Amino acid sequence: MDPETTNVIEVKCLTVRYPKPGLKQVFVTAVNQLALAVHHGEVFGFLGPNGAGKTTTMNVLLGFVPPTSGTASLFGIDVRQPIARQRIGYLPELTYYYKFLTAEELLRFYAKIFGLSRAETDQRIAKLIKLVGLEHASKRPIKSYSKGMQQRVGLAQALINNPDLLILDEPTSGLDPLGRMKVREIIQRLKDEGKTVFFSSHELGEVEAICDRVAIVHEGQLKAVGTVAEISAGHANLERAFLEVVGYQSTCQP
Amino acid sequence: MKTSPWIALVSLLALAFTVATSLSSRADIWSKRSKSNNFFGVIFGDGRKLFANQFFTMADVYFHSGYYPSIFDKNSAEQKEIISASHGAKETEEDEKKEDFLGQPKDWIDAFGRHFRLTEHVHLEQGNEREMLPWLRLAADLDPQKIETYTVGAFFLREHLGKTNEAEAFLREGFHNNPENSELLFELGRLYQDSADVTRARNVWELGVKKFLALDDAGKKENKLVFDQLAVNLGRLEDAAGNFDQAIKWLRAAQSVSPVPGELQIQIDAIQKKLAAPASVPATK
Amino acid sequence: MNKIVALAGVVIKELYRRKDFYVLFVLTALLTVAAGMVNFFNDDKIIRIVKDVCLMLIWVSALIIAIVTTARQIPAEREARTLFPLLAKPVSRGQVLAGKFLGCWLATGVALVVFYFFFAIITGSREHIWPWAVYFQAMWLQWFMLAIVIAMVLLGSLYFAAPSSTSTISFILVVGMLGLGSHLNTLALQQPEPMQSLLAGIYFAMPHLEWFDLRDFVVYDQKLIAWPAFALATVYAVVWTGIFLLLAWFGFRRKNLST
Repeated sequence: MDPETTNVIEVKCLTVRYPKPGLKQVFVTAVNQLALAVHHGEVFGFLGPNGAGKTTTMNVLLGFVPPTSGTASLFGIDVRQPIARQRIGYLPELTYYYKFLTAEELLRFYAKIFGLSRAETDQRIAKLIKLVGLEHASKRPIKSYSKGMQQRVGLAQALINNPDLLILDEPTSGLDPLGRMKVREIIQRLKDEGKTVFFSSHELGEVEAICDRVAIVHEGQLKAVGTVAEISAGHANLERAFLEVVGYQSTCQP
Repeated sequence: MKTSPWIALVSLLALAFTVATSLSSRADIWSKRSKSNNFFGVIFGDGRKLFANQFFTMADVYFHSGYYPSIFDKNSAEQKEIISASHGAKETEEDEKKEDFLGQPKDWIDAFGRHFRLTEHVHLEQGNEREMLPWLRLAADLDPQKIETYTVGAFFLREHLGKTNEAEAFLREGFHNNPENSELLFELGRLYQDSADVTRARNVWELGVKKFLALDDAGKKENKLVFDQLAVNLGRLEDAAGNFDQAIKWLRAAQSVSPVPGELQIQIDAIQKKLAAPASVPATK
Repeated sequence: MNKIVALAGVVIKELYRRKDFYVLFVLTALLTVAAGMVNFFNDDKIIRIVKDVCLMLIWVSALIIAIVTTARQIPAEREARTLFPLLAKPVSRGQVLAGKFLGCWLATGVALVVFYFFFAIITGSREHIWPWAVYFQAMWLQWFMLAIVIAMVLLGSLYFAAPSSTSTISFILVVGMLGLGSHLNTLALQQPEPMQSLLAGIYFAMPHLEWFDLRDFVVYDQKLIAWPAFALATVYAVVWTGIFLLLAWFGFRRKNLST
């Protein structure tokens, strides 16, 4: 299978229903008949208001939640197969990594999961620690890290296997402006290296700046998909377009 | 108003001391536990007696090297075998060895499980009886009023371990804690008798009889067997010392409570024969 | 297998970097030495009570280490959200469970070796004998019993909300199994129906952890247990561990894990 022509992410007719907490017979539809394709080498922004179904879709892609119906695949492999995740990196929102490990030990652990050789692991760890700017703290336990440093460790672990696809859930959430800039630079660098990046964010300015294409979901359904320019056409900016797509009406009178 | 936390802390400490001074005299009436000179008494209160019984049982478990029925096993009444052993009941000891509280395995789980249980009935011997001592020591500390602890402990210390001084000290400790008990005096007398200290043996046994009778007069029901043992042993001691009249007096006293008065009568008859014959043994009293 | 070993490595690192093990070991050592120093009737050859106290502390400590360490594994991964980057890698949920089990079991094994080595030094220094084969049998069976316990706790930790509730319930169950395991059939006979059938059913269906307690053999200087019985008990522990791990896997593989 040619990786250049195969869709990196392909979601077809995806529906996810959850039983309502406490009521097993009553179901809530989190994602409804969603279809999506992310191409090789693009930075893809996945947008939507809270509760739109972004996280559920990501959870399906990562194999955390089984789809109720429809299919989802990574590099043409069904997401239910662990091997589908061999070539991806994932950065969740706000994760507190094993606090008794150092950053170096954490990366070494994840490298073992990917079955990397010792020499390759050493090389990758050195490169990633430098990339995320943690050279001074790599041998310190993670429990002594600030929130920003933890997020950078997270980014490093997501890149340990030199992934072809990076899935980022709110990667700049809770970071200071410098941290955001650093993450943006890293995404840009990955794009330059030909990697595919799929990320969700509420920072529309950031999405506008780095994404090739975006998708907007609302109430579990795909409302719009296209390049930033296509979505923003006829609006002042992406934010205005987003608000119209999700049907937002201001209650403040001018 | 801004108050320094240090002032607040000092004020609270001062208040605590003031209240403590006022409460100190009243608290004595509420509970005597904290005043107990026994560490376990402070910790457990009267509940310590339950532990004492358990520790006494543990001594028995050790005596059997772990081959011991649990509370769920049949024949659990077989417990406290060390008491009978300590009273020299050799036949009982042998009988008990023949008994198997485990019985036949009830099912395959029980049968397989026996590989991991001690199934050999053995008693401590050759000085290994010492291993029981810690439990008896702890049982005595927890319940100083449990007489058996002292008598059993003293028996093994004296008979099996040759620790006469320790046995005497243990019995004296028991007597200190139970000044009215005549059984402890009987054991103490046996210890002196074994040490060939006839005078002290006679003194403590006579004191034992006095204590027994005092309690009997006061209407407190005591174990008549103790009086029997005291009187019989005093009778034999006087017999050996050549004080035949005294010996007969004690044996007759024992007859009134003995389960085998006929046996005692035979001994009395024997002494009376000696009395009729010319005296050959000088009196020591 | 490398993935499982990697996961186990993290659990072992966690054990020796946390204070729990050191606190329990120091406590055991102090209480054992204190028991050994007490003078009972001027007899310095008394040793069984020291062995008894030390082995009891080893059992309690090993149970605490095994249960508490295992109970927090999966809940802590979920709470700190480390489970998500982990499962986003090419590792199956079964491998995560197996790694957690292996880590907890090996960590407990390491702790047991340290504890028993201390025990051997203390008792050997007084008795001047080292019955290594008996110690080995006692430690080995205790370790395999802990394998059953760890697998059982891992299963419980998937269903109970907090590690503390998993730990408490597990302690009660394990102490119950150890204390009543061999007597449930006797107790059943003393009960009216349907209690009798219920207790008898539990007796035949439960894992018999009491078989793995060879403390009495060590304390009372008894001879070794038969090696075939020893081997069969090991197989029995492996089977029960497998049962609990399979049940845990059935529960975990289809569990919705929403971030």
